[in-house]
Amino acid sequence: MPVTKVLTAGIGEANLRDINVYRERGGYKQWERAVRELTPQNVLEACDKSGLRGRGGAGFPTGRKWSFLPKDVYPRYLVCNCDEAEPGTFKDHMLLEETPHLVLEGILLGAYGINCHHAYIYIRGEFKRGYEIFMQALAEARAAGLVGKNLFGKGFDLEVTVHRGAGAYICGEETALLNSLEGKRGEPRLKPPFPAVAGLYGMPTVVNNVETLAYLVPILERGPEWFAAVGTERSKGYKIISISGHVQKPGNYEVPLGTPVRELIEIAGGLRPGRKLMAVQPGGGSSAAIFEEHLDYPYDYESMAKAGSMLGSGAFTVFDDTTDFVKAALNMVRFYAHESCGQCTPCREGGHWLERVLHRFVESRGLSSDLDMIRRVGHEITGINLCPLGDSIEPFLLSVFNRFPDQFEARILKEPLPA
Amino acid sequence: MTSTNQDLVKLTIDGVPVEVPKGTLLVEAAKTVKQEIPVYCYHTKLGPAGLCRVCLVEIEGTPKLQIACNTPVAEGMVVHTASEKAHAGRGMVLELLLVNHPLDCPICDKGGECDLQDYAMAYGRGNSDVADPKLSKPKGVDLGPTIVLDEERCVVCQRCVRFDDIIADERQLIVKDRGHNDIIATATGAPYRHHFTGNVTEICPVGALTSKTYRFKSRPWDLRRTQTTCTQCPVGCQQFSDVRHGTVLRTMSVEHDDRYSDSWLCDRGRYNIGFYTSPERITQPLYRRDSSFVQIGWDDAFTLWARAIKGAAGNAGAIGGGRLLNEEALLLQQVFRAIGVRNLDWRGGRQQQASPGARGGDYAALERANVIAVAGASSPAELAPVMWLRVLKAKRAGAQILHLSATGAAATLARIDSGSRVAIVWDGVDLELGKILADAAGRLDAVTYIASEQPNARGAEAMGMLPIDGGMDAGLMFDAGRNGKLAALSLFGVNPLRNAGDVDLVRAALNTTPFVMVSELFMTQTAQLATLVLPAKGAFEKSGTTINVTGDLLPVNASLEAPVGPLSDLEMLIGLAQQFDLTLPTVEELDAAVITRAQHAFAGSFGDALYHSGATRAHALEPRTLWDGGGTSAHDDHVRSVLHA
Repeated sequence: MPVTKVLTAGIGEANLRDINVYRERGGYKQWERAVRELTPQNVLEACDKSGLRGRGGAGFPTGRKWSFLPKDVYPRYLVCNCDEAEPGTFKDHMLLEETPHLVLEGILLGAYGINCHHAYIYIRGEFKRGYEIFMQALAEARAAGLVGKNLFGKGFDLEVTVHRGAGAYICGEETALLNSLEGKRGEPRLKPPFPAVAGLYGMPTVVNNVETLAYLVPILERGPEWFAAVGTERSKGYKIISISGHVQKPGNYEVPLGTPVRELIEIAGGLRPGRKLMAVQPGGGSSAAIFEEHLDYPYDYESMAKAGSMLGSGAFTVFDDTTDFVKAALNMVRFYAHESCGQCTPCREGGHWLERVLHRFVESRGLSSDLDMIRRVGHEITGINLCPLGDSIEPFLLSVFNRFPDQFEARILKEPLPA
Repeated sequence: MTSTNQDLVKLTIDGVPVEVPKGTLLVEAAKTVKQEIPVYCYHTKLGPAGLCRVCLVEIEGTPKLQIACNTPVAEGMVVHTASEKAHAGRGMVLELLLVNHPLDCPICDKGGECDLQDYAMAYGRGNSDVADPKLSKPKGVDLGPTIVLDEERCVVCQRCVRFDDIIADERQLIVKDRGHNDIIATATGAPYRHHFTGNVTEICPVGALTSKTYRFKSRPWDLRRTQTTCTQCPVGCQQFSDVRHGTVLRTMSVEHDDRYSDSWLCDRGRYNIGFYTSPERITQPLYRRDSSFVQIGWDDAFTLWARAIKGAAGNAGAIGGGRLLNEEALLLQQVFRAIGVRNLDWRGGRQQQASPGARGGDYAALERANVIAVAGASSPAELAPVMWLRVLKAKRAGAQILHLSATGAAATLARIDSGSRVAIVWDGVDLELGKILADAAGRLDAVTYIASEQPNARGAEAMGMLPIDGGMDAGLMFDAGRNGKLAALSLFGVNPLRNAGDVDLVRAALNTTPFVMVSELFMTQTAQLATLVLPAKGAFEKSGTTINVTGDLLPVNASLEAPVGPLSDLEMLIGLAQQFDLTLPTVEELDAAVITRAQHAFAGSFGDALYHSGATRAHALEPRTLWDGGGTSAHDDHVRSVLHA
């Protein structure tokens, strides 16, 4: 079995929330080494060499993202995105709750890598427990001289500010997150300018996911080559996969990228006895479904794209033959319609329109003209939105609509609607 | 290549090669090939927002359609604004906007000038796939004293919200709630109220935000439109007066009026238009008999007025001009001078100076300043609201705004870095303060402005409505009046009982002076103490010129027929001149004289001795009459026809 324990090492075995336990296991050694021995450039190079890609969903190479910061523009900021809200994703808050010091050490290393002196972590409002645990960890780290001024006597200052969101999915989009962090309405900004140029408070900013930053710790500990040796050609290293749906042992599993889809289902205990696989949503609510013909595809960024979907945040949801795909599609579309910030037309109007149509289908009041409308509108609202949320309405809907048309057609009203 | 060429970018729009400055947005670049790209959220003055997504264009080499409002031009870019793909993308956006938009165009005030109607015609589908009922949202929401909001019609372009933030610096309007439930509201729930609220009705691309004064009043195609200069303050905003059935129903800003209004109007200029048809308006000359007024005819009024001035034998005076047009102020000055009256002044209120002198600047210079010092008891935001928007624009660009007190002005000004681009705005009231400001302006090489309390104060000053040859200024006239030393006083469009610095002095003067003529639209406090009240025409009822804060001569064009009865101040002065058998100028002569005087710039500075009460008047005396030629007068004929109609 390819399950590996890197970030998840020690979880369930030791009380990693205790700074002493974490330090006994080698915690904060990389942080101390970075400040004492490494330059920010060394950290950036290690990150770049490891091939680490953003674990929040977009999969953008982390080292390259850092390198977009304009030289000599200060202050600059690192923001850790812990607004984990993608349907099916539950890895970041596990890390936050179970191994908060690892998360913090990752933030510290990331901040050092871009040479910033003030890092923020934006924690989703619902993660109250995680927030409290992280605050405790941060206080311990500060007391231990790991956060603050003149760290390790080397003259490097680094402050970490914790900010709680209020539960809006859109605030996981990096520019909406920055607006929310600034105290503004949480809605995405028009790009360009990108955060690397004008981010938090108009200054150069890097926004990285919790898991992305946490991987900096083992990458520095074991070397970027160790990380780059795992995975596929362009999808390097490990990834925590949140497996949910119709499997016997749903949960977070840390695996090398490139593990075949079939194996992931097996890792999670396989399907329930006697059930048949219908679809997998491999990358969170925003991703299109893949089907049994994709079971032998390696689970990596490129292969998922080739299968017509994406790896996203690694939220892997399995659907067996008990699934009502009309209801499943409504569930997803309703989520996006509800979470749309309402700024741009296609997302605001299109999502809500599709939701209402699907709602009628679930009540078996669909119209045959709706079938065309779903296909046409679903397709045409994609790619013209201000931010990726609007483009996330269509993929799952159209993938199951095209695959299981009979389930939709069966809900068409036999009698015409009363005038 | 020169540096100018390097700053230009070559691209192709709809097959036409164009060259535009680097950084130009596609939506603007397309205008150079006369290609209109539809927009809702984009606005030239507000910049891109990327919300409505209707400005989609096809760019070769880019798989997805791009929004023209936030895509800067690039070298070699090939853009198709009207391709089938772009058309289809816009069609989808229109279809989406109409999913929940009510089809109440027949009762919508925007009907006929609505961007949603226009673009739906251009890009929309003839039929609809929408099988579900439209969303219901609040209609007829009373947003504040001026605006009514229909949430169902709103397309959430956020132009109003951004105007309130970026231009008005108020941030009262916000988007409330989320997704398809979002609505426009004030942040605190308090009424939407500031100096510039009406602009949101103009920038609203649909019928969501409408003016209370114009709701359900007219269709745009039934309005007769006249462009004129707003005369409610000295800024000089260009505006449209839209008239139907003899009533001005609304005023609108003039697009591309970058020099004066910057395409905005204040609420005073926009909404203070109802008085023209007020039943309170004076429509006939009124003559005091004991303690009450009796209505008299114009012939009698002119006779009584002229008799009083003749009887005063030079012991008469006239105050006015700041609310008159240039032609009227000039004729006022010339007629009174010709009949031997030297006591002339425009300063019926607190303001003592109108032209800033040699350092006077235009609005572009105000906008460029990085330090703006504001001095005086009255705020320019009240006196010249749209000029204040320029100050806010400079502030947004990083300028520092200093509010000077009379006592601390010198010290504050002394702290300004000499390298700064300084602008000084003064209300022209306290001449001692003016001198302090003038000193600083010289030292800092500042541009200067006087935000006047009277709209055409600068014109009145330029037309020579100042004491002649040792004559008394307004203050001395009131003083003389109180002491029984003034026999006849003529007041044109001034209300000193409300606006003068010392109203007790004015009241005593008006009560003691045997004959007081007041030309007015309404029975003001001052008019109530008059001997003779002459009903005047308002600014929309007459044509001429005015001079604004920046010293430009601007046209005022009549858009309304005056009611039967009132005359313009010009016509009144002609009537008076006839009583004295004066030769009147032709229209051409009057116009030429106004232009000459408007071009003759005051070369002094803030607080010059010229303006000190009782000081020697430096004015060279004008010839006794400006026009020697005689000849027929168009005004003369016109007045005759009015008088004897």
